[in-house]
Amino acid sequence: MGARRRARGAHARRHPRSRTRRQVVAAYLFVLPALVAFGVFVFYPLVKTAYLGFFTTPPAPNLPSHYVGLSQYRSVLSSSDFRDSLWRTVQFVLYTVPAGIVLGIGLAVLANQRLAGIRIFRTIYSSTVATSAAVASVIFFTLLNPQVGLLSYWLGRKGGSGVLQSSSLALPAVSVVTIWQNIGLTFILMSAALQSVPDDLLEAARVDGASSWRRFRSVTIPLLSPMIFFATIVGIIGGFQSFGQIHILTQGGPNNHTLLLIYDIYKQAFQYDNTGYAAVLSVALFAILLLLTFVQFWFFQRRVFYAR
Amino acid sequence: MRKDTARDFSDGRSRRPPRGDAMTSDLTAGFGERAVGFGERAEGFGERAAASSVAFEGVTKSYGPVTAIEDLTLEARGGELLVLLGPSGCGKTTALRLVAGLEDPTSGTVRIGDQVVNYVDAKDRDVAMVFQSYALYPHLSVGRNIEFPLRARQVPAPERRQLVATVAESLRLEQLLDRRPAQLSGGQRQRVALARAIVRRPRAFLMDEPLSNLDAQLRVEMRAELVELHTRLGITILYVTHDQVEAMTMGQRIAILNEGVLQQLDTPEAVYDRPANAFVAGFVGSPPMNVIRGRPVAEGDAPYVAVPGGRVGLSPPLARAVEDRYLSEVLVGLRPEALSLDPNGTIGAVVSVVELIGHEQHVALRLPGGQLVWVRTGSDAPRMRTGEDVKIAARGAVHLFDPQSGKRIDADPQSVERAGTGSL
Repeated sequence: MGARRRARGAHARRHPRSRTRRQVVAAYLFVLPALVAFGVFVFYPLVKTAYLGFFTTPPAPNLPSHYVGLSQYRSVLSSSDFRDSLWRTVQFVLYTVPAGIVLGIGLAVLANQRLAGIRIFRTIYSSTVATSAAVASVIFFTLLNPQVGLLSYWLGRKGGSGVLQSSSLALPAVSVVTIWQNIGLTFILMSAALQSVPDDLLEAARVDGASSWRRFRSVTIPLLSPMIFFATIVGIIGGFQSFGQIHILTQGGPNNHTLLLIYDIYKQAFQYDNTGYAAVLSVALFAILLLLTFVQFWFFQRRVFYAR
Repeated sequence: MRKDTARDFSDGRSRRPPRGDAMTSDLTAGFGERAVGFGERAEGFGERAAASSVAFEGVTKSYGPVTAIEDLTLEARGGELLVLLGPSGCGKTTALRLVAGLEDPTSGTVRIGDQVVNYVDAKDRDVAMVFQSYALYPHLSVGRNIEFPLRARQVPAPERRQLVATVAESLRLEQLLDRRPAQLSGGQRQRVALARAIVRRPRAFLMDEPLSNLDAQLRVEMRAELVELHTRLGITILYVTHDQVEAMTMGQRIAILNEGVLQQLDTPEAVYDRPANAFVAGFVGSPPMNVIRGRPVAEGDAPYVAVPGGRVGLSPPLARAVEDRYLSEVLVGLRPEALSLDPNGTIGAVVSVVELIGHEQHVALRLPGGQLVWVRTGSDAPRMRTGEDVKIAARGAVHLFDPQSGKRIDADPQSVERAGTGSL
């Protein structure tokens, strides 16, 4: 009996999955620093935020806040203010992501030609990666200045009302800045994907009688599709988190026309001291991004079948 | 009996795809039965293009300072299976790509049938190419892969379906039409690549080492399969390989290339029996022909070539040909099967390596100068021991080559009927 148990023990130790107590302790010691960092900067704020959502913000400082349970979640999430800022965010994503990807693919295809000096263009196209949202915003803020801005001049709005002050043009303008700022990353992603398309597939398609457009549509694009999907998800997540350009260009104005979800959170929390309200919005934003991330994980697990 | 076994395997296919021998012999059996059907259909759409000749006329291809192909003149006749053989980097794949239109010649003319195609885009050349990697579209099903060239040419859907079905049946791919290439075995991918090439009946087929990614056994099976396909469809095939066995067994003619220059264009027999130069002699055959440097000696009516360790006798006409050229040195070519181990032999050597290959032995012997010489003997011959001193006798054809140009030296055809044959 004892011998048998010993034999089983020996077997278990040989098995790669089973670990001794010492190994488990050592493993946790190794991940401890990361756990502490995540705990302090991610998990604790996350829980605290969700918790803050249960309290209404007092009308004046130094008054006690009231525990209201889920009722604040219900009222905020069903409010038209929330729906409006969510819808504006969706619009913003719709303006920026598809256009950014189409442009990124276009530039990647152009820069993938075998031409002398093409590296210069590759460098230029990818250069916006090295530009922060703040810098990009300041550049465009100047360009769009109604008095001295070059873009305002070209758009025939010199001296008139500024683009960023127009309720119909402010969100598109912020979107253009965002597209410009993201183009470098999209370009790099698409170039990498494009270079991984095997030459012999395109040559096979050519010999098979496919025109260049057909080769692009039927071979290149399908082979780029995993990267297109990745760029789309990353773009959407980035869109939901776009803050710098809004803050510098419009501060959510004019008349809340560029008030995206995340800027709403910022305003509620740090301008109106409405922490309860902001906490609810933060939890909503977190839920949306979590969902998108799961979609991405799911896709990349499925993609295994795609490999040759 | 063996075929029955294969059938049993194929019945179980739904559960587990048959592999290896079972699959391929089953495949061959299927071919016989279905060949007629395909042939009939093939004639049905054969009117679009007949098998065309493919010709290079003085073609040179350079990449900057590097010349991949130099002044190549060569024609594959309509319906011929012509093999381009050579070591890697010899320009054979470049030649194929020039026909496909994936490269443009630096100078010279490429012709398909009567048409000069130098300035015709690849997509309009109406040739099919089978790539070494198969180049199957990974995102498309097998059926869609085969259909691709038809879609590209805007063949109407009903005709497309019919053609794909016919070809799939002929290559035993019906069960696999919905699979993705990633789910197929190497042999299956190979057949899909072939199906995609065949489906539109192009003017010529270009095959770039199509069997090199298969395991040895499957390669032998597919070799026969391709030859059969060629015979059945009467198509022109330009077939590139570095494998001389493949070239010898498949080609109706073989074009041997080295460093971009055509060395010899001839039937497999002629290439083997009468290599045009020392390169061809050393490249074709396994083990390759032994090429030994020696000094011709005219000694009355028994001329010979003095080589390290002894002598190789020459026929008087061949000796005369050497004499006419005032050569002080020649390269003697002796196939391993033209040599034997014989106590009365004329060359002394030391046994270095013995390879027993079932029905025969390959014995590597070291000559006094250090050169290795291969001798092929029957497996019933006594086993040699490494380090043993032996004598070699030359019993078969003796080939001579000019040591400067490497060119073959033939006896004057008038003085002897079968040139190049020397005897001891």
